[in-house]
Amino acid sequence: MTLSTFLAHQWHSFWRARNANKSLVLQIVLGIFYLLIFLEIAGLGIFLPLIIKESLPGKDPVVLFCSYIIYYFLVGLLFRFQLQELPSLSIQPYLTQNIKRSSMLRFLNMRSLIHVINILPLFVFIPFSVVEILPIYGTVATLCFLISMFALVVNNHFLNMYIKRKSISSSWWFFSIVIAIAILKAFDYFKILSFETTSSNLFVGLLHNPWLCIIPLAMAVITFRLNNNYLRSHLYIEELVSQRKMKVSTNYAFLDKYGDVGEMIALDLKLIFRNKRPKSLVILSGVILLYGFIFYPRYLQTGNFTMLFLFALFITGLFISNYGQFLFAWQSSHFDGMMSYNINMKQYIKAKFLLFVTVCSLQFLIASFYGFMGWHILPIQLAAFLYSIGVNSFVTIYAATYNYKYLNLSKSASMNFQGIGALQWLQSLLISFGPVGVFYLLNKFVGFWPAILVISSLGIVGLAFNEIIINWLVGQFNTRKHKILEGFRER
Amino acid sequence: MISIKNLKKTYKGIDAVDIAALEIYAGEVIGLVGNNGAGKTTFFRLLLDLIRANSGEILSKGHLVTVTEEWKSYTAAYIDEGFLIDYLTPEEYFYFVGKLNQLSKADVDDFLQSYQVFFDDAILKKGKYIRDFSKGNQFKIGIIAALLTKPELLILDEPFANLDPTTQLRLVAMIKQLAADHRMCIIVSSHDINHVSEVSSRILLMEKGKIIKDIAGGEAAYDEMVDYFKVKEL
Repeated sequence: MTLSTFLAHQWHSFWRARNANKSLVLQIVLGIFYLLIFLEIAGLGIFLPLIIKESLPGKDPVVLFCSYIIYYFLVGLLFRFQLQELPSLSIQPYLTQNIKRSSMLRFLNMRSLIHVINILPLFVFIPFSVVEILPIYGTVATLCFLISMFALVVNNHFLNMYIKRKSISSSWWFFSIVIAIAILKAFDYFKILSFETTSSNLFVGLLHNPWLCIIPLAMAVITFRLNNNYLRSHLYIEELVSQRKMKVSTNYAFLDKYGDVGEMIALDLKLIFRNKRPKSLVILSGVILLYGFIFYPRYLQTGNFTMLFLFALFITGLFISNYGQFLFAWQSSHFDGMMSYNINMKQYIKAKFLLFVTVCSLQFLIASFYGFMGWHILPIQLAAFLYSIGVNSFVTIYAATYNYKYLNLSKSASMNFQGIGALQWLQSLLISFGPVGVFYLLNKFVGFWPAILVISSLGIVGLAFNEIIINWLVGQFNTRKHKILEGFRER
Repeated sequence: MISIKNLKKTYKGIDAVDIAALEIYAGEVIGLVGNNGAGKTTFFRLLLDLIRANSGEILSKGHLVTVTEEWKSYTAAYIDEGFLIDYLTPEEYFYFVGKLNQLSKADVDDFLQSYQVFFDDAILKKGKYIRDFSKGNQFKIGIIAALLTKPELLILDEPFANLDPTTQLRLVAMIKQLAADHRMCIIVSSHDINHVSEVSSRILLMEKGKIIKDIAGGEAAYDEMVDYFKVKEL
């Protein structure tokens, strides 16, 4: 059993996954999407020197670049905590086969190295080194510099793996590193101790004395050995996955008085908080709340209300499209049960609608603080909020009745396109750019207030007739119920 | 209780279920037997309106299961893990199912108390979500949740297969008692002809979607099944 056989199996498992998107169009779209990201990042590497010369004339791009390397790796470690998973379970089927432990270890280590987060940095480091470092410092120094960078990536990688394997929760590490970065940055800012200078001294020093690259190499080897030794002595499935905490039963008392509907909302909330993929999507909707700080001032200044409206839609309503695109699919693993428990379908759909209303109202209330930036934001956000819960919520529920794909809740959400079809792309375009188009036209040709009024009334009409719309949605759901069930059973 | 007419479900041109007529009455314990692929699970899913039949109809207490939802209030089933909400603790799951059937927390606690023996101290207050339990224990959780609602119609798909011997025997006793005390109608599928002939008042033998034998349970049924299932030639 060689490493290449293991990797070939992984390759098959990726492409032959039941829910791997078989549609060619979507694969092409995703392919182009990834290619663009890679090109953009490689472009960053090439044009970085130019950008530095343009915006900070008189500074040496190499020195400046080097001064941020340590920060880069610290921040990189933070991202790794969030994005990287331990690829432990993939060896389960091999544990009882006639395979040497050492080759299994090799596989585990190599498999974990194949990750976007390890490959992307190279797209910055290589072009930058070729363009900027090679002409000045020569081939040997450039090569050694690249080797050091690669070694540091590997070092970061195995350090993260080691920490994750050793400790039950990496959040303690996460926050310690956040605080460490903040303190270092503060030292730099108040000129107490320049960490940036230290960083540039270190790496420019490395360029002058290329043999120093053995230090990062040694670091990479040490973390690799640490990891490897730990794995060797813990090659048991229950020890490889991170340890479990005691789970407690919870009860949302405030939902008790809403009967079955309340019970189902509680069920959805537990689904969100206890499963990786929905949790990260919802955290994302929370992070989007901060977008206002970045985008609102800019568009307030230029008086671009259409763009303000677009971001208001995201800020108040992103939860609907994020959670709603898989509205039923979240429950796909127990949908057989959901359809045979004593649940009235109307209450089931209504619970979904009320979940949207509750979460969006919360987001709207928090976002109202942006009103301090300028009063225009308040009516714009109100219109966006009303439209989100009065129109987009129903559109999303309707679209969800066409989603027949099983969803695995325990996989992380980043770069995970399982269960996403052409319909989901179309839907997210429709529910964000539809109303924005209407707003733009009205705002341009009629006026600001009519635009606000029309968008808000659309939402209010939807809310007023929610009973009728929900009844209709129940009918739509029932006509496709068996198809949804069948799709969810295909794992 | 259940009345079936001309029920037919085909997959890729092959009949998975093909039942011309079948009546099932309250108080009956039906043992459904047949080799893999005979159509037992498909039949159960049809009863629960989880798949759409190609033709024919299923009436539950006189109402079409495809049209009305009333059957949900007196029917409980456990077919596979697809019936468990795996990110809940067992307690939360029982309370959830209880609430859907108008049972208070105290009612549920009382009920669980009376089934403590069945659980063998392996289920409650373990600090685990359902997804972290072993398959056998998940099965116990599913069966208890189905019983919790005091259904008039109970459907269990191969309940003996995933349970330990002690629990299997307990389940046999439980099923007999429930049918006798509450006139519950119970449909059980199984590969264990020993248990199934002991527990059932009536046995339906399926082959390629059709019910080819409809016989009373007991010793005679056991012999007849042994005769049917024995390896014909080697």
